[in-house]
Amino acid sequence: MTQSYFVAALMSSVVTAILAYLIHRFYAARAAARLREESDVRIDALAQTHARRTEETGQEEQARQALEAAIADLRDDLARQIATTDEVRVALKTAVEEKDQWTQQAKQIADEASRLKSLAATFERWHEQMISLMTQNQDMHAKNHELSAIVRHVVIVSLNASIEAARAGPAGRGFAVVASEVRELAARSEELSKSYRNSLHRNDLTTTTTFQDIQAGGKMITASLGSVEALAHQLQSKLH
Amino acid sequence: MISSQAKDSIERIFYKAAQARLPMAPGDVCGIVAIKPNSAGAKDRTEGLTEGRAGDGGASRAGKPQTHTGQVVVLTISGILFRLMLLLHFNEDDSTRDYFVKDDAQSTFEEIVAEISNLCCGAMNQELLRYFPDLGMSTPYMLSAQCVPHLEDLKPSYLSSYAIQLGDSVHIVATLCVCADGPIDFVADVTAVEESSGELELF
Repeated sequence: MTQSYFVAALMSSVVTAILAYLIHRFYAARAAARLREESDVRIDALAQTHARRTEETGQEEQARQALEAAIADLRDDLARQIATTDEVRVALKTAVEEKDQWTQQAKQIADEASRLKSLAATFERWHEQMISLMTQNQDMHAKNHELSAIVRHVVIVSLNASIEAARAGPAGRGFAVVASEVRELAARSEELSKSYRNSLHRNDLTTTTTFQDIQAGGKMITASLGSVEALAHQLQSKLH
Repeated sequence: MISSQAKDSIERIFYKAAQARLPMAPGDVCGIVAIKPNSAGAKDRTEGLTEGRAGDGGASRAGKPQTHTGQVVVLTISGILFRLMLLLHFNEDDSTRDYFVKDDAQSTFEEIVAEISNLCCGAMNQELLRYFPDLGMSTPYMLSAQCVPHLEDLKPSYLSSYAIQLGDSVHIVATLCVCADGPIDFVADVTAVEESSGELELF
């Protein structure tokens, strides 16, 4: 009896144990299933997150590549601009040097024009020679005038000689021929004197107008040089 | 060589300069008439004369300077392509001396007429400078009036004489002679009012 009780108790214990085990297995299986579901959900979430991150990473990679390309372009631009700046700097330096040269040349032109204005004195010196020439002409006028007076006197003398020769009759015939010759020579001398006087007047006019042309031309050149000098000064002050 | 309008322009410029500079007093009448070539006396030509100064025929009356006696004042304006000579023949009678000398005891008649001629030529020079930027003018010089006919020997492109009457009794003969080395053509506008007058030009 006791043994039966023991067996029964053992059997009930075994059954209870089996039952507890089964219950445990059941709940364990349910917990495992729930954990698996939760894990799958998490895995899916993590997969989605991973996929998103992967996509974002790809986008970031593209953005990085684009930025690197832009940086490379900017670097190229910068290099080109540096090269251009260097060229501009060289050109500016050249321009500044040329400007200095032009300023120097403008100053030289102004100085040269100023110096050449002293040519006016040369032209005036030439003009002064006119006075000397005209004085000589006046002297020749006076001598010609004296010659003309002498010729007029000779004409009168020859006329008187002709009258005296006529009074002398046949004896004075030869003398009359001589008086006539003298009168003819005096008339030719008078014509020559008139012609010489005309030549002197023409010479006076030609000399005066020529030397006045020289004087006026000199003033014209001096005035023109003054304009050149003023323009050179203006250019010089603009270049400064 | 010199176009007809350039000749007219030179004549207009001369008329303006003579009327502005030759009278000693601003109110004095200044009549100018052109003397036709080869004519025995001055014959009136009214075209181009300023209103109120022409048509009286005074310059052609007796009393004008004898053509080839006395002295003339000669002045030259030089340009690159031409030279213009102005010869002014002043009568040396008492009325002319009185008109120009007046009470000036320090200057001779020759000095005064040389100065007046210089002013007249200077006014022409100023006017011509508007059309020819490069010009220069000489100082005046006295020559015998017998030199005037020899202007033809210079082979001028333009030669013209004018009888000028100042007031009632002063007569002057002016001769313009232009020798050109190239074509001269311009139209002068002499209507502009003169900015200043009366200043002396030093020579």
